[in-house]
Amino acid sequence: MNILSDRSRDIGEFVPAEDDDMLICRCEEVTKGEIRKAVHDGMWTITEIRRYLRTGMGLCQGQTCARLVKGIIAKELGISPAELEPATARSPMRPVEMRVMGNEEA
Amino acid sequence: MKRYELIVVGAGPSGLSAAIEAAKCGVEVIVFDENEKPGGQLFKQIHKFFGSKEHHAKVRGFKIGEELLREASDAGVEVVLNATVTGLYQNKEITVRIGDAIHHYKGDTIIIATGAAENMVTFPGWTLPGVIGAGAAQTLMNIHGIQPGKRVLMLGSGNVGLVVSFQLMQAGCEVVAVADAAPRIGGYGVHAAKVARTGVPFYLSHTITKAHGTDHVTGVTISEVDSSFKPIAGTEKYFDVDVICIAVGLSPMSQLFKMSGCNMEDNPKKGGQVPIIDSYGETSQKGVFAAGDVSGIEEASSAMIEGRMAGVCAAQYLGYCTEEEKENKLKDLEKDLDSLRQGMFAPSNRGKLIEKTDEGIDVSMSLLTKGFVSDDEIERFPGVTHKVGVHPVMECTQNIPCNPCQDACPKGCISIGENITNLPFVTDGSQCINCGMCVASCSGQAIFLVDEDCGDGYASITLPYEFLPLPKIGDVGSGLGRNGERVCEATVVNVKNLKAFDHTNLLTIKVPKEYAMKARFFRA
Amino acid sequence: MDKKADVVIIGGGVIGCAAAYYLTKRGKSVIVIEASDNIGNGGSSRNGGGVRQSGRDPRELPLAMYGIEKLWPNLSQELGVDCEYHKDGNLRLGKTQEHLKILQGLTDRATACGLDVRMIDADEVKKINPYLSDEVIGASWCPTDGHANPLVTTLAFYRKARQQGAKFFTGEKVLELRKVKGRVKKVIAEDNVYEGNYVLVAAGYESRDILSSVGIDVPMHKELVECLVTEAQPHMFNQMLGTAEADFYGHQSDHGSFVFGGSSGMELDNLNKGAKNSPSNAAITAPCECRGIMKYFPDLKDAKIVRTWAGEQDVCKDGVPVLGFVDEVPGLVVACGFTGHGFGIAPAVGEQLSRLIVDGETDVDLTPLRYDRFKAKI
Repeated sequence: MNILSDRSRDIGEFVPAEDDDMLICRCEEVTKGEIRKAVHDGMWTITEIRRYLRTGMGLCQGQTCARLVKGIIAKELGISPAELEPATARSPMRPVEMRVMGNEEA
Repeated sequence: MKRYELIVVGAGPSGLSAAIEAAKCGVEVIVFDENEKPGGQLFKQIHKFFGSKEHHAKVRGFKIGEELLREASDAGVEVVLNATVTGLYQNKEITVRIGDAIHHYKGDTIIIATGAAENMVTFPGWTLPGVIGAGAAQTLMNIHGIQPGKRVLMLGSGNVGLVVSFQLMQAGCEVVAVADAAPRIGGYGVHAAKVARTGVPFYLSHTITKAHGTDHVTGVTISEVDSSFKPIAGTEKYFDVDVICIAVGLSPMSQLFKMSGCNMEDNPKKGGQVPIIDSYGETSQKGVFAAGDVSGIEEASSAMIEGRMAGVCAAQYLGYCTEEEKENKLKDLEKDLDSLRQGMFAPSNRGKLIEKTDEGIDVSMSLLTKGFVSDDEIERFPGVTHKVGVHPVMECTQNIPCNPCQDACPKGCISIGENITNLPFVTDGSQCINCGMCVASCSGQAIFLVDEDCGDGYASITLPYEFLPLPKIGDVGSGLGRNGERVCEATVVNVKNLKAFDHTNLLTIKVPKEYAMKARFFRA
Repeated sequence: MDKKADVVIIGGGVIGCAAAYYLTKRGKSVIVIEASDNIGNGGSSRNGGGVRQSGRDPRELPLAMYGIEKLWPNLSQELGVDCEYHKDGNLRLGKTQEHLKILQGLTDRATACGLDVRMIDADEVKKINPYLSDEVIGASWCPTDGHANPLVTTLAFYRKARQQGAKFFTGEKVLELRKVKGRVKKVIAEDNVYEGNYVLVAAGYESRDILSSVGIDVPMHKELVECLVTEAQPHMFNQMLGTAEADFYGHQSDHGSFVFGGSSGMELDNLNKGAKNSPSNAAITAPCECRGIMKYFPDLKDAKIVRTWAGEQDVCKDGVPVLGFVDEVPGLVVACGFTGHGFGIAPAVGEQLSRLIVDGETDVDLTPLRYDRFKAKI
């Protein structure tokens, strides 16, 4: 088990903040408030937030927002960002058109 | 499937160095890079590098890039450009997008040198056009010849923020301020000083609280922050700008390692998620190596050495050199790397406040908070001495691994002693011939040739000048102090530009003699 | 930390989360133990999102039909999260006579169970989905099939169950089950011991190891499949898609991206030494899928693939899951072996298992899916 294991741990109530409408994931247009709320909905890992809100799932594949999202989740949970496992890395590392992906040369 | 003995991913400083070193041992090497030009970040670096001769000190970054490419081509390294590695799979198979196809290759060894990506910070308006990374600004200016904007605020006072601020001014932009949430300047003091003396104010313990504008940046508000980095109400400062440049660090682009199942660690000291490697760059997967920023953020000089280390290890893994040969080469490379990792800015000192130099001198606190050494602090450093006639004044006040100045002087006037990080001093009995080589050789632009009394109550100061338009002899303007404020009238009495100066012009100005140790920049 | 509950559920996937939701809704106390660091990290987040009845084995078809009739239509509202459920039909496409024969067989078996599914010709296929290539000569069409977002649905069940008091523990690997006085009661995990009056094992392939600690084995193996996702595209169609040849399956999500699953046919040989929390892809699979997809949807050739992922199916020997009580081990409830088509029936499975545990009976006959069905062939 780890610091995130007990999903019933009290992290306090969601408190609205002035900058909640600030965009964090630009590709998928996810705001800071949505991420913070999702944490209070029980989404405690970067992977769960991604699956729940699509952060880092757009064309830039999280290059810009990964670190930002991590910081927001950690702060909401009251832990250090280093305690959050970064998102999985998935091929292709850069978006590739289907016609190119299907055109293989061994 | 086509198989190579060594596949290098990334043709930046570390990737090319790795390829060269392995190829020299006889390994068949291929390098893939997604960009249209090789060299990675080196070709954006128009400033002179620090270090010793072995580290290409006083050579401009792009020149080092050109040297590396030449060396790679001589060693028979094949570099494939516009080739994006899209995945690293089991059995060291990679997929590469080249043109309209995905190519599969296998490597007996793989060295990943994919570098890093810029970090971002958020503030209201951070998504407005005009908010750009410092690296993006460099790409625009130094690769594509495009001015990012007219008036720029730089966030971040690390070496990237400082160097790019200077480059922005060289490109004709006005830098209205350098801000940083940290209480102290993060980069080399000499980089800060050369920005500060042109009149750029530093706002430490400040962060951006708003970018103004509707469809692009028209202004920026910064605010002072408290010790927990919260903005303090009532401390807002507004600047008219069209560009906000962000230089708040880099994150390793280590996704290929993670995807392939290498053991990873999240290490804030290394800039984020990196593969766990041994001291020569090998990951938990045999034959897969990491080199350069992707294994931990440092700078190009150490990336090149790390690349060479990984290249040697790959060569040994493939049977192209013996264990003993490898160890010998690594020993030399390690020595080089160690010398780079010394001094106040060594990775082991990151985040520490160092209050005294190795020589036992109090560090300039003004330098750390305002970007310049104050007039009453400067005299305590060993490079700042007084003599009759022309003599070098070296305003080098921090222990950094750099020594081109002592080789530059043909008369042996300058020494830094045993250790490369020592502060330079003027040797006893030396005779300066006013050649200016030391001024041009100092990557930190921290050396001045001063004649404190050249007659008629005037002093002459020869200073490095890398801006356009170049002042002409006879121009009358202002002598600016280290803080960038006008201290006196100044007349240009000489402008020198020799090939040996490598594009650093030497401007000699005449100022009233009481400003001999105060005026450090010229403004027309 | 209270480690006792009415029901201890092993596996925080969509089955475990759905069961936790329906059990807590019925007032039961529930603990869910998940081995990975993330909720829904197995097949729940690694599937094509199909909510289908067509193409299913008659033994599990009633569960699928029950779910689509009773549970899916109101699920988003009930859970308070948009699960992106669409009931806009399923096209199973054929390009050859051989394909049509396969489709006809599937259709005949489904209609026998009372499902509205029929064979349609190329013209009708084009009317339903004008983006399909001319290579398609026919399809089976089930208008009440559909799809949903499996990632969000899983987390929506988790969210609501958690709100209703279910306790979730992640990063906690279960080592074994122990009987106490004739009944399965103790769940021994790496760091804690849990206790429940009922223990529901819904841990995908890993259920096998856990069940073996009380002398139960489910005949299943692991099979790797992969999915890919495109960048968002303009809205094209809402149907769920599959093919007779099983080249690919998938749909366009509300977000606009296409999610397609498929395989290269070489998956059993994959060494699968993947990254933490995630099985690894094979380099040949996504290209193979792309070629498959483009034969049916030439217009998608310029859509960019932004991501691929792999997942493991818990493939049961006879192709349908094992559900329900195991008579020889009182207190034990099993839900595993979903064979790659568990997502669509997950709400029904969760709800019916909660009925079974709470009321001792179910609305849908689960008898054909019982553990004791496995017999030697002669």
